[in-house]
Amino acid sequence: MVSTELLSAHILSSFVVVAGTITLFQLIAVLQRKLNAIWLQPMLISILVIIAILLWQDISFENYFSNSWLLNALLEPAVVALGFPLYQHLETITKQWKSIILVLFIGAFIAISTSFVITMLLIGDYTIAVALSLKSVTTPIAIAIAGQLDGNTAITAFAIILAGFFGALVGPPWLKFIKVKSPKAQGLAIGAASHAIGTATVSNISYEHAAYSSLALIVSAVITALISPFMITFLAGLI
Amino acid sequence: MIAFKKKTFKVLYSIFALFSCVALGKLCSYFVPVLPSSLYGLIIFTLTLHFRLFNADHIKSTVVWCLKHMGVCFVPAGVGIINHFELIKQFGLTIIAITFATTFILLTIVGLHYQRYAVDEE
Repeated sequence: MVSTELLSAHILSSFVVVAGTITLFQLIAVLQRKLNAIWLQPMLISILVIIAILLWQDISFENYFSNSWLLNALLEPAVVALGFPLYQHLETITKQWKSIILVLFIGAFIAISTSFVITMLLIGDYTIAVALSLKSVTTPIAIAIAGQLDGNTAITAFAIILAGFFGALVGPPWLKFIKVKSPKAQGLAIGAASHAIGTATVSNISYEHAAYSSLALIVSAVITALISPFMITFLAGLI
Repeated sequence: MIAFKKKTFKVLYSIFALFSCVALGKLCSYFVPVLPSSLYGLIIFTLTLHFRLFNADHIKSTVVWCLKHMGVCFVPAGVGIINHFELIKQFGLTIIAITFATTFILLTIVGLHYQRYAVDEE
């Protein structure tokens, strides 16, 4: 009897948390469209509002996270759905695979080396330097590599979210500013720098953005998984 | 009524397609643990559409809707920053500055280089 009551209480609180998160997200999305304000990014503002509510009501993150299980369960099919825009542009992409791999290889190489060296010079902590070197890669891969290379996984997770939001929010206007106007180049750059968060955001701009961003997300993750162990060991030996 | 039935069929068909690719992705990740299961799933979904194992016309409307609203799924994980307040207090500003600067560098390099290559190829 007690367990049935507990179960129904859990179902009710899960419903409130999931419905509340979705409603908040949609309200901000409507507001963003009405005000035409790029900074009013629904994902970021929802996170900030929920953090404020949790702190105000003294609710633990674990409690909120366990009640939002439905949204977490949908995360994986949502990432899989990015295969659709990729399929639609597969023909064009296969024609340009050499330049795509070359550009993303250069990107991953520079991202790992600059982040590692700058962090070692400014903070001087190897575990944080590893964490920041992996921030442009999708969370599951970055956390696995960070663990393998003795990096700080908590900072890796934090830096991944930061990089995701920076690219998602500032990426499109910045790329326009430096005259990178092609949707392919914009999608590729944002997927490489801001992984799934960036891809989810630019998917709203156009299908081409979504396709190239998904592609960069996959290819960059594979390249980083392959080269980062060698690069980080080499750079750590130099500094 | 017929339109409603067609729509329901397309939604169910898309859910089946997506979740079978999620399951196959999990299987691949279990046997070849190089990539996370969602990325295997993404690749499998692309291939099944390319080789017409699933009908893209039936899937399109549901997936477009999913892509438009997928951002909400990242919210709970993002709220996880709340657990790293201590680390953020200690190194926060430097970490933010480095992440910001290097993300800009990466965006600029990939964007500019690819635009140049793409223009050359076209």
